[in-house]
Amino acid sequence: MDVEYDERVKGKRFRCRDCGESFEGVGKHPVCPSCQSDAVDAT
Amino acid sequence: MFCPLGDGYLVLEGASSFLAVGRALRRLPLCIETVESEVVQGLDSDDLVAASAPSGGPLAPALMLIELVRRYGMPLVVLPRDHPGSRRLGIVVSAGPVVRIACDIQRGTHPEQDVLCGADEFAGLVLRGIPGGVEVEGGPPGLAIRTVPPLSTGI
Repeated sequence: MDVEYDERVKGKRFRCRDCGESFEGVGKHPVCPSCQSDAVDAT
Repeated sequence: MFCPLGDGYLVLEGASSFLAVGRALRRLPLCIETVESEVVQGLDSDDLVAASAPSGGPLAPALMLIELVRRYGMPLVVLPRDHPGSRRLGIVVSAGPVVRIACDIQRGTHPEQDVLCGADEFAGLVLRGIPGGVEVEGGPPGLAIRTVPPLSTGI
């Protein structure tokens, strides 16, 4: 049995101010997956 | 129940399965990879990395998986629903501020990090990361909880 959960985690788009990486983030503390910086802006 | 925890692990042992949980210990990006996309979850130092072995087995691989995530930043790969590999997964991992154990989901197929597949005996158990430790809510009667020191990774 498999209870239905939302299979698509919905995040917000962010861009890293340090390296320019764009990513979809979730959670209270978005962190850039490329350079680990927390200097990110929601886009 | 509050369980103090430093850089080791909390091991919750049931009759036929176990959970191991560690604190993230640092701020890090956890990449969650699905067939369709990549989502990056920001973890804080007090957030949790939990490994569940719904059918039991050795503890060491569960602790290694926790280290692969929190120390080495390995991404989590999510299988599509009904993927045949789901039944091969002896240990599954979730990470975040809160992890709820559910026994009615397929192993390794859910990207939501607040839900982790577990055995029936742990259904409904909730783990919350709080400064200095873990809050454990629910669980079977007579649940054994012990603390294990961190794995040595000085190789």
